[in-house]
Amino acid sequence: MTDFQNQNPNDPGLLLMISLASGPKHGHAMLLDVEHFAGTRLGPGTLYGALSRLEAEGKVEPLPVEGRRRPYRLTPAGRTSLNDRLASLQRAVEAGVARMSA
Amino acid sequence: MTRLLLRFFPAAWRDRYGDELSDLVSETGVSPRVAADIARAGSAERIRAARVALKGGTSMIFAPAWRHPTAWAVAGAIVLVPTLTLVVLAALRTTVAPVDDLLNSQRYLDLALVLGPAFAALLAALPLVRIGFTHIDGGSEASLSVRLRAANVVVVVIGLGVASLLVGHILFESVMQIGA
Repeated sequence: MTDFQNQNPNDPGLLLMISLASGPKHGHAMLLDVEHFAGTRLGPGTLYGALSRLEAEGKVEPLPVEGRRRPYRLTPAGRTSLNDRLASLQRAVEAGVARMSA
Repeated sequence: MTRLLLRFFPAAWRDRYGDELSDLVSETGVSPRVAADIARAGSAERIRAARVALKGGTSMIFAPAWRHPTAWAVAGAIVLVPTLTLVVLAALRTTVAPVDDLLNSQRYLDLALVLGPAFAALLAALPLVRIGFTHIDGGSEASLSVRLRAANVVVVVIGLGVASLLVGHILFESVMQIGA
């Protein structure tokens, strides 16, 4: 069983991993992408705070700087972690939907 | 402005992510919401760094106001001025009716004036202290550095003196009231 605290669907770390699942992105691109798919506008401090934690946990890694921007990508460990968390969230959503329609 | 806000984050964090965060802020713009977000995230990062250091993950130096000690002494002196003025007026047995009325009607203002000197002493004392946590040979070691700066020491001494005087005065009055 995964830690319940990690199942918050608005957790910035989770949102960033979902954003990076479609490919490497730099900070501003992640900000816009998260706003687009989750309707949540992350603050710049929140975004980089979460990004630094993900990097420290080995879930994302920086790529060489492009111009003034540094893109990041999911590591294999990050992809596994994201899979686990999405599967756990999906089970919760399915249970909730089933109970609501019962 | 962004450089100032970045100071909420630990130095090591700023060295690694500071430029990237500054670039992002230059694209999003600085608003009160963005400033509050950076302050909150920076404070959280400092707490996280402190936790990691205490667990022996890295070395950490906690020196909240090591730079610009004179500015902190001046800030302490400014906080001290209202209470000190009232104490001097009281010592000279000079009363200013509007001030007396205001103090008597605003209980929390009175409390703020009593706590002011202690807060001023704290502000002036902050730049004099530096605490370090170092991870050595599997164990953690804490170190404390203290330095003396004339302006800060003067404000600390006056602040603590006035605070002690006021607390003593309050205790004396309380005892006298109970006795009566």
